[in-house]
Amino acid sequence: MTKKLMMIDDDPDFVAGIKSILDTAGFEVDVAYNPKDGMKALETKQYDLLLLDIMMGRGAEGIMIARKLRKDAKLRELPVLIITGMREQIAFLFPGEPVHPRFVDVDELVEKPIEPRLLLEKVNSLIQTAEARKAGKK
Amino acid sequence: MQPTTNTPRILIIDDEEVVIDSCTQILKGSGYLVATAMDGTIGLRSVQDFHPDLVFVDLKMPGISGFEVLEKIQEIDATIVSIVITGFATIGSAVDAMKKGAYDFLPKPFTPDEFRMITRRGLERRKLVLETISLRREKELLREQFASIVSHELKAPLSAVQQNLFSLEYELSNALNEEQKEKIERVKVRIDELLKLINSWLRVISVDINKLKDGFKQIPITQPLSSALESMKPFAARKNIEITTAIADDLHPVTGDSISLSEVFVNIIGNAIKYSPENTRVLVKIEETKDSIRVSVKDSGIGISNDDLPHIFDGFYRGKSGQAMAGHGIGLAVSRQITEAHNGSITVESVLGKGTTFVVCLPYEKTGP
Repeated sequence: MTKKLMMIDDDPDFVAGIKSILDTAGFEVDVAYNPKDGMKALETKQYDLLLLDIMMGRGAEGIMIARKLRKDAKLRELPVLIITGMREQIAFLFPGEPVHPRFVDVDELVEKPIEPRLLLEKVNSLIQTAEARKAGKK
Repeated sequence: MQPTTNTPRILIIDDEEVVIDSCTQILKGSGYLVATAMDGTIGLRSVQDFHPDLVFVDLKMPGISGFEVLEKIQEIDATIVSIVITGFATIGSAVDAMKKGAYDFLPKPFTPDEFRMITRRGLERRKLVLETISLRREKELLREQFASIVSHELKAPLSAVQQNLFSLEYELSNALNEEQKEKIERVKVRIDELLKLINSWLRVISVDINKLKDGFKQIPITQPLSSALESMKPFAARKNIEITTAIADDLHPVTGDSISLSEVFVNIIGNAIKYSPENTRVLVKIEETKDSIRVSVKDSGIGISNDDLPHIFDGFYRGKSGQAMAGHGIGLAVSRQITEAHNGSITVESVLGKGTTFVVCLPYEKTGP
């Protein structure tokens, strides 16, 4: 079955570059260009993964979304892949260190721009992990 | 009535009514707001309610001592300027008071002119202290604003460009001929270099030495070193470079920040790998001298010429001698900043064509026997 992905990012040009890779790879991708529309979509339709930007609107609104999701009974299990250009400021990393989403409870964090191979690898493995987790619970 | 904030406020704490009266008299008509207190307890309450710029404190008072009052004032607001009033017999203790944070002392008896003069000086001092703080804040703000402008206005568009190029290449992967693939590759590499350059600028801007020091802990030196070695492994493997370590036993811990120290080691080990030919060896050694831990990284790479050696820690320096030096000369500058924040040093020895050795020395605290 086709996997459904949601992407929330306020930069349409960047979104286009991600979406066409995912489209080509056979995913169904919905897009929201602001947190409000994004949350609405997440509440009305079921997705297999969320691709989330951090710096939107007036600040780090992506972090707000991630926190909200983790408190939501229905959306808590939704895998979240952060795609951000603000690595230095938010994650306090240094060169050579693997990226850890230690600042907020998400599944993975990658930096913009992201190579197609790596993007697909992350997306596939996050979806698989989430499905295995779900299957284990049943 | 709430007085205006621009009028200087002076508080006088002294148990002698004569002193309080004469001081108040001298300052009358000079445009200052004056409050008085007859003992330390009332004085301290007044410090909190009156928000003085300048406080005169008598050292010898019944109840809590002038010393204690001084200390408490510092705790309440360290920017308040305190001046100690003292009898001639206690000038020795006035010096002690200055060690505790008093700005100056005024021996009794004093003339009105002396009192006016020291008041003016005290208020000047207060102005200076406040200005320094607001300047520092402004600088901090500028740094943050600049960082955010750089990341948003430069990084975001470049990322979008690169991302679209990635997707174009991905979608056309079967349709492109070798020449076209090469063109795309060239564009990708150049954009990637620009992104890296912006990142390293951001890095320099965001290293705040003072904040770094707040997080210092006792750590074994092997902690940041192993994490650096771990992250550099793939780069070494790519060039088939063997990293050997020689680590002395029972090393003293150092006081510092593990993450930033690890960054220093990543930088110098990374350089060693970058400038070494394939199939060579990099030696990482930790020894202990009588007062410091000494970490050295030795490569047998291209070396650094004598012309370049004095400048390599300066930042944005990439070598005069025309060597193919990738990078932006920032890593070593940041490394020096970090090492110096740890009261340590970073030095380099090199012979062109033979190899380079970087040495980081970090002092340790001597405890026990």
